[in-house]
Amino acid sequence: MPVAASAVYFLNLRGDVLINRLYRDDVGGNMVDAFRTHIMQTKELGTCPVRQIGGCSFFYMRISNVYIVIVVSNNANVACAFKFVVEAVALFRSYFGGSFDEDAIRNNFVLIYELLDEIMDFGYPQNLSPEILKLYITQEGVRSPFSSKVRQQTLLLVVTSYHEVRAQIDKLLCFSLHYLDVNVEKMECITCILPNMSRALSQAKLPSLGWLVRSHPTSSLFLVDKAWVLPMPTDRPVPNATLQVTGAVGWRREGLVYKKNEVFLDIVESVNLLMSSKGSVLRCDVTGKILMKCFLSGMPDLKLGLNDKIGLEKEAQLKSRPTKSGKTIELDDVTFHQCVNLTRFNSEKTVSFVPPDGEFELMKYRITEGVNLPFKVLPTIKELGRSRIEVNVKVKSVFGAKMFALGVVVKIPVPKQTAKTNFTVTSGRAKYNASIDCLVWKIRKFPGQTESTLSAEVELISTTTEKKSWTRPPIQMEFQVPMFTASGLRVRFLKVWEKSGYNTVEWVRYITKAGSYEIRC
Amino acid sequence: MAPPPPQSNRSPSPSQPSGKSEVSDLKSQLRQLAGSRAPGADDSKRDLFKKVISNMTIGIDVSSLFGEMVMCSATSDIVLKKMCYLYVGNYAKVNPDLALLTINFLQRDCKDEDPMIRGLALRSLCSLRVANLVEYLVGPLGFGLKDNNNYVRMVAVIGVLKLYHISASTCMDADFTTILKHLLLHDPDTQVVANCLAALQEIWTLESSTSEEAARERETLLSKPVVYYLLNRIKEFSEWAQCLVLELVAKYIPSDNSEIFDIMNLLEDRLQHANGAVVLATIKVFLQLTLSMADVHQQVYERIKAPLLTQVSSGSPEQSYAVLSHLHLLVMRAPYIFSSDYKHFYCQYNEPSYVKKLKLEMLTAVANESNTYEIVTELCEYAANVDIPIARESIRAVGKIALQQYDVNAIVDRLLQFLEMEKDYVTSEALVLVKDLLRKYPQWSQDCIAVVGNISSKNVQEPKAKAALIWMLGEYSQDMQDAPYVLESLVENWDEEHSAEVRLHLLTAVMKCFFKRPPETQKALGAALAAGLSDFHQDVHDRALFYYRLLQYNVSVAEKVVSPPKQAVSVFADTQSSEIKDRIFDEFNSLSVVYQKPSYMFIDKEHRGTFEFADEVGNLSISAESRESVVPAQRVEANDKDLLLGTSEKDEGRDPGSNGSAYNAPSLNGSSAPSATSQPLADLAFTTTGISGQAPVASLAIDDLLGLSIPVGTAATPSPPPLNLNPKAVLDPSAFQQKWRQLAISLSEEHSISPQGIAALTTPHALLRHMQSHSIQCIASGGQSPNFKFFFFAQKAEAASMYLVECIINTSSAKSQIKIKADDQSSCQAFSALFQSALSKFGLP
Repeated sequence: MPVAASAVYFLNLRGDVLINRLYRDDVGGNMVDAFRTHIMQTKELGTCPVRQIGGCSFFYMRISNVYIVIVVSNNANVACAFKFVVEAVALFRSYFGGSFDEDAIRNNFVLIYELLDEIMDFGYPQNLSPEILKLYITQEGVRSPFSSKVRQQTLLLVVTSYHEVRAQIDKLLCFSLHYLDVNVEKMECITCILPNMSRALSQAKLPSLGWLVRSHPTSSLFLVDKAWVLPMPTDRPVPNATLQVTGAVGWRREGLVYKKNEVFLDIVESVNLLMSSKGSVLRCDVTGKILMKCFLSGMPDLKLGLNDKIGLEKEAQLKSRPTKSGKTIELDDVTFHQCVNLTRFNSEKTVSFVPPDGEFELMKYRITEGVNLPFKVLPTIKELGRSRIEVNVKVKSVFGAKMFALGVVVKIPVPKQTAKTNFTVTSGRAKYNASIDCLVWKIRKFPGQTESTLSAEVELISTTTEKKSWTRPPIQMEFQVPMFTASGLRVRFLKVWEKSGYNTVEWVRYITKAGSYEIRC
Repeated sequence: MAPPPPQSNRSPSPSQPSGKSEVSDLKSQLRQLAGSRAPGADDSKRDLFKKVISNMTIGIDVSSLFGEMVMCSATSDIVLKKMCYLYVGNYAKVNPDLALLTINFLQRDCKDEDPMIRGLALRSLCSLRVANLVEYLVGPLGFGLKDNNNYVRMVAVIGVLKLYHISASTCMDADFTTILKHLLLHDPDTQVVANCLAALQEIWTLESSTSEEAARERETLLSKPVVYYLLNRIKEFSEWAQCLVLELVAKYIPSDNSEIFDIMNLLEDRLQHANGAVVLATIKVFLQLTLSMADVHQQVYERIKAPLLTQVSSGSPEQSYAVLSHLHLLVMRAPYIFSSDYKHFYCQYNEPSYVKKLKLEMLTAVANESNTYEIVTELCEYAANVDIPIARESIRAVGKIALQQYDVNAIVDRLLQFLEMEKDYVTSEALVLVKDLLRKYPQWSQDCIAVVGNISSKNVQEPKAKAALIWMLGEYSQDMQDAPYVLESLVENWDEEHSAEVRLHLLTAVMKCFFKRPPETQKALGAALAAGLSDFHQDVHDRALFYYRLLQYNVSVAEKVVSPPKQAVSVFADTQSSEIKDRIFDEFNSLSVVYQKPSYMFIDKEHRGTFEFADEVGNLSISAESRESVVPAQRVEANDKDLLLGTSEKDEGRDPGSNGSAYNAPSLNGSSAPSATSQPLADLAFTTTGISGQAPVASLAIDDLLGLSIPVGTAATPSPPPLNLNPKAVLDPSAFQQKWRQLAISLSEEHSISPQGIAALTTPHALLRHMQSHSIQCIASGGQSPNFKFFFFAQKAEAASMYLVECIINTSSAKSQIKIKADDQSSCQAFSALFQSALSKFGLP
């Protein structure tokens, strides 16, 4: 039985329970005590994220200052459980506006309980899509229009301009879209003080509201306070409930309208490098992801073209024309967001999809061949006797001269017993950081095709008992290079097709970051 | 109507109240609010409810508010309702009488016109978990399953499962499973379908232990129409539901190969899914489907490599650990397929140690002639560079590679360099390895001894390393100038030596040294025997006494026993039997893979109640404190076996029996699964080495000597026992398949095959004819060198009882893995012997 969880706990770093949700009875209520005494309070905390204590298994993850612990008593699906936690955290973040920490949890614990109820039932993950959940699990302050209170109350919307109509209606919709046409007769609201209200509403392209207006063309509008209220007849039969909990396009709701249709594409790559002290590359790969931010109306169909080899060849073959010259790259492996039509990818090698609204990760890829390393590091570290070390590190940027790297940090390890350091650097600033036993050399802006050197002299506290030689950890590097991809990946086109045929503006950015960029010395 | 009390002025933040006064304060406030319909009452209620819930969360018992909470629950505010449901769900179990109060409003809410409320109420109703309230569940569940809103149906389906867990009989009597079966195949909403699948699987699995009908129902879930229906809709399912469906498909047995390829083609694109759980589930399907087709199976490995590596490199360390565990399993099964990808298993400096440890093991496994140099170079970096446990692991890894490979020249040099690094832990680990190396490659003794001789025994503190050093001193005393004197000084410090293992080794080493250099060692031997006889440790005492008597009886016999000419150990015993490995493989994509144990070893069958566990927690914490004193004792035991097993590393990691509180602690109260099952594992490994048969001197304490003297894996051919087989047995393939599925494995063994047999096995047919002459018929065979797979069957003479055998022969390792399933369990052993003897005669003239 691939159950993902019997209980979920959120703990802070001291071990206080922030959230505790039991899904199944097969684990005891005091499991969290077992976790505290046997994992949190021992040195074994970091040794393994899957542990067994007294017949129950614990999966735990630390996210900022919170531990999320999943407890199961059977042979659960671990990968699924961890993925569930990651997705749940992403969901909470989208509700809390990005942050997920102890304070955010304490301030929103009722909401978290509500969500935990929906995203998992009896240990089986249910729906975790923020898009859909936001339709019916709403921020606390919003009162459900289902409640009979609303029947007697009147929702007033005070609007002065077209834009505000939009904004107000959006606000209303974020919690009420799905039941507008369900229980519409209870909504004694809807609004406007503009004389051309029906035009505003039709321009807003809101299907449910459109229906509302259309079906009651003769209704009279009352002016209540400063808002127009449309009284609804109460004898209409309830249309079939259309809670879009799931569906063919479960990740996107219908009827989205944007004044300006825009798509933002971010290609973010991280380069991992492991270089031996002799300068040979032991291991090198790039993991990239394409992040997308969509503000598109309706149900658009998107098609993305990259300069990957297989895709280009396939395209050439389909259109029976020779492959264009130019750099093509070979992707080792690709994974896609669930919105991408994988069948079409496999047959035609094109990435086509109906995107979710807002921000999401479209695809991830991995490349091991033909990686362009943005930086070369040439270290020489000499131990002069027992009390002195001479460090010389040269960093070369090997990307285009017009580009530049930002936030370059080189961490050069030194022994624990370092007493004094002297530097000279050709650019940037360096200092000794005793807490991580490193010389930290920062260069804010590093232009392409240049090089920079740090030479330092390190004096050590001479210890008589210390006969062990110093084990040298690798030099580590951090950087960001905008408009550069270590893999050479480029977006060739992004086509947006929607039946209303609007124009879209597309923005593409590239950035390469250091993953684990290590040079042994 | 009373005006609302002024609570709203209070601070709205959910503070952390302490003590009873706060609870009673809440109680009175709730009571005041209960009947209030004044505007703003809901807001005050919300604040109060929040406080109650936050108290509940941090563990303060607020069950005394039950009545008041229920009174306040008559509200139209959905958020209030949810909080109330949560509260009721949490405390209903301990307050069954009061829970009855909530039934009324929950049932009413189940009929609300808002589907949201209907669903929520139904979910809460099913979560009450009070056995005597189940009668109230049946009605609402029945309506819920037929509700026209998918949200309500989705909740109701899981509700049925909940009901089953509260009262199985009520659930079965109401015949909800029929409705679930209908919904499974006909509901338009995929989440409803997925929940049906989850519920039915759980119910039938639990039910099938008692009812045959349920077992059949479980089979129908795996029938072609159901599986195909789900597969055809798989793209509509959510990622989580896809995992469920794929899990089901992995158990499906296709009727022919084209079906297998159809399914694989259909699911091919799932390997591209961003969700690692989906990818793993798909991989499981692929692996399970192709088990019978060796060549396709291998292609599957090639195909899944890239997606697995992607999953490893993306996501949090925890996620990649989960995937890496699976990759680890596959690498162990087919190291040669991954041997060119060894660079992916290089450790990064900042990776957590649990990831590094798995990577080290994989690096060890994939090492072959072409990449050994790079891998060993990399491992040597870790030995010098990273944290100590990993450094130790990496040294061991180097040693393991040395034991695997023929070309050990370079590796030995490196190991010897380790010895000169002058770091205690490095030296210790390297010593243990050099010892194992010498057991396998005695030809290296000259080089090694020269270096080992320079190590002062005073610098070696760890018992294991010390024992290894002493072993070498004894074994190679003729080549080491000062061996007798070093041993003598060790004997002098007998009382300061705390480890019984070291003392045992010391005794043996002094004996060996005595046979080689009698005049120099005599004094030390006398002192050692005297000290041994007065030792408080039983084993040490016994061994000393044994040696003493042996020497008294006849010195040359003693020499033959203690220091016979050694044969190099060709293969070190594997720590896990192939059956266990197969079981783990069958449970792919579950915890078993992470723990590297089949599920029966860590899942406690007995139901654990909350209160039982409370006691256990007490015990656990005590045992954690006393661990320091307990572990050494266990370690000695483990080490004794360790010498025998050679490559098993018992002191760290995931081996059962000796790794820290997680496994040790439960073993002390003697009731939980891991401790009980770890024993058979050790026993199993023990018997497979074929030593226990050597009765005369087989005392556990001197296994190390015997382990050296008897080459492993060449057990004598057992004589055929009196079991007669029907020479003309018949069984048609479909009957075989059915039987194979029904029966459990009654015996699973691994044997070695004679070189002649291997030579004769050029095609499967040769063996078929041979086995036929022994009344064992073949029903299917396949594979290519070096892997052959056969299915045999035989029938007991004058009886209907059948024996079914799956036999996998690997010609390169000269091993056969045999799984026997039998109608008649009692004669299974006899049949196995018969089969074994028939197989061993294969190829002989």
